Amino acid sequence: MLTVFRYFFGRARGAILGWGITLALLGLYMVGFYDTLAEQREMLTMLIQQYPPELMAFFGGAADLFTPAGYLSLEFFSYIPLVIGIYAVLLGSGLLIGDEENGTLDLLLAQPISRTAFFCGRLLGMAAILAAILGIVWIGFVLGERGTTMDVAALDMLYPFITLFAVLFIFATFSLMLSMILPSRTLTATLGGLLLFVSYFINSLAQLDENLRDLAEYLPLRYYQSGAAIHGLNGDWLLGLFGFGLLFALLAWLLFLQRDIRVSGEGSWRMPFFKTARKQPR
Amino acid sequence: MSDFAIQTQALTKNYASVRALRGVDLEVHQGEIFGFLGPNGAGKTTTIRCLLDLIHPNGGRISVLGLDPQKDPVAVRARSGYLPGELRMEENFSGEGILRYLKALRGNQTDWDYTRQIAARLDFDLKTLVKNLSKGNKQKLGVIQALMHRPDLLLLDEPTAGLDPLMQQEVLNIIRAARDDGATVFFSSHLIHEVEVIADRVGIIRNGKVVEVAQPSALINRSLRQVRIRFKEKVSEQELTQVPGVSLLGGEDGLSVILKVEGEMDALIKALAKYPVSNFETERQSLEEIFMTYYAQHSSSKNNQVDAAHEEA
Repeated sequence: MLTVFRYFFGRARGAILGWGITLALLGLYMVGFYDTLAEQREMLTMLIQQYPPELMAFFGGAADLFTPAGYLSLEFFSYIPLVIGIYAVLLGSGLLIGDEENGTLDLLLAQPISRTAFFCGRLLGMAAILAAILGIVWIGFVLGERGTTMDVAALDMLYPFITLFAVLFIFATFSLMLSMILPSRTLTATLGGLLLFVSYFINSLAQLDENLRDLAEYLPLRYYQSGAAIHGLNGDWLLGLFGFGLLFALLAWLLFLQRDIRVSGEGSWRMPFFKTARKQPR
Repeated sequence: MSDFAIQTQALTKNYASVRALRGVDLEVHQGEIFGFLGPNGAGKTTTIRCLLDLIHPNGGRISVLGLDPQKDPVAVRARSGYLPGELRMEENFSGEGILRYLKALRGNQTDWDYTRQIAARLDFDLKTLVKNLSKGNKQKLGVIQALMHRPDLLLLDEPTAGLDPLMQQEVLNIIRAARDDGATVFFSSHLIHEVEVIADRVGIIRNGKVVEVAQPSALINRSLRQVRIRFKEKVSEQELTQVPGVSLLGGEDGLSVILKVEGEMDALIKALAKYPVSNFETERQSLEEIFMTYYAQHSSSKNNQVDAAHEEA
């Protein structure tokens, strides 16, 4: 299992550094502007009041821009699940099926390693990759905060990243589970990405439209604390997110145990209404 | 311990509506090289992948090295070396990187000196990145990884595919050497000449069923022969065609005849004893010709069945 983990994690080092450093620089830059923004509070307040509420809803709603929690939410944590969530969906959807579709899984699973160990190694790898990216970004935020009057301790700054990690984990494991059911990685990633976007929009609009609030209760982003987490984590929400994430992972594992490993599309089911050529078994 | 390295009974596998295996019965002895012949789509790869539990059969029983691959897949794989038919590997690794990765997955239970020896025999550069390897070199890497832990059982899906004739020969030599060291080799191929050269026994699979298992020489002996005989004096062609299994293909003035002989030659040779023979030549079918005949026979019988069904309709 550790070998699987080590090689999978090592393979993603480019993505970890790419996403991590880019977002860390964004954080460094953004946090550094906190004091400058505070100096122009009156003017910005007037400006924000002129924005349509629908627009503000997508950036954390009524969060106070001039508090650290509100600022962090509005400038980063409100929309970042959507950005990095796309990567999480791609990571989850390709965790096993990516290798199956490019034909490398066949040889790996012919080695003396159980499917459970392989699955766990990959799942841990996925979690570690997401954690490593967020860890790098967190360092950027901590460094950026040092030159400001934001006054958020490094540990407190970690909390929004933990809640963000939980959200990413749930989308990644949900995509992983979908990948065990749907016929292709592309379709899985498309559907997973669509669900991410729909969740984001429904959750954001639910702040304005009461009719959507009931629906939003069933979506993971409802339990995402965003920048407000610097004041402390909501343990129930966090447990709920991780619990569902692990449930999706458990279902994916059970499906993986039963799965016939395909050779470049062999044996996949056809989409209704789409006539695609199926490769014959050899 | 069972004498069989591989045993399958009534093995079936379906992919949705496609019946890939329709009751495969196989027995592969310990320490033999078993060639698994069949055209594309016959079920060769599916059978091999069932043996490693990469796919789950719908019915039947499998025993590999005395183990049930579905109950104990890790133990089966630990003692097996597998070369997939469609070999794909991590493109950004070097050959050595791939081998070290697979070695690590095997708990480092591999013989690295032996690995280097095989690489040298196959003239393979371990430092080259997989993405820069030609198809033939990728195949060499596949062969190396299948052998590097000196497995008890080698499951090779078309092991010489993509290799030049010299390397094909070298791979066959390596396979023979592995057998001589005690390994059992089960390999699929649609290249009949290599099966004829190397296999101790041959299984022919057609439409998901094993239709024949025999030694290559037995298959060949059982086949048709063409015999050309020149006599010192005229003989009665009719007398010769009365010998069981013999029919006349041609002749010249009673001095030369061309006969088709089905099965053993014994009866014909005894019948010829009373004639003054000046020359006797025989040509046998190659395994390839037998294979094609076999398929042609089955195809025609199938067509006949279809025709009969149409007529009945």
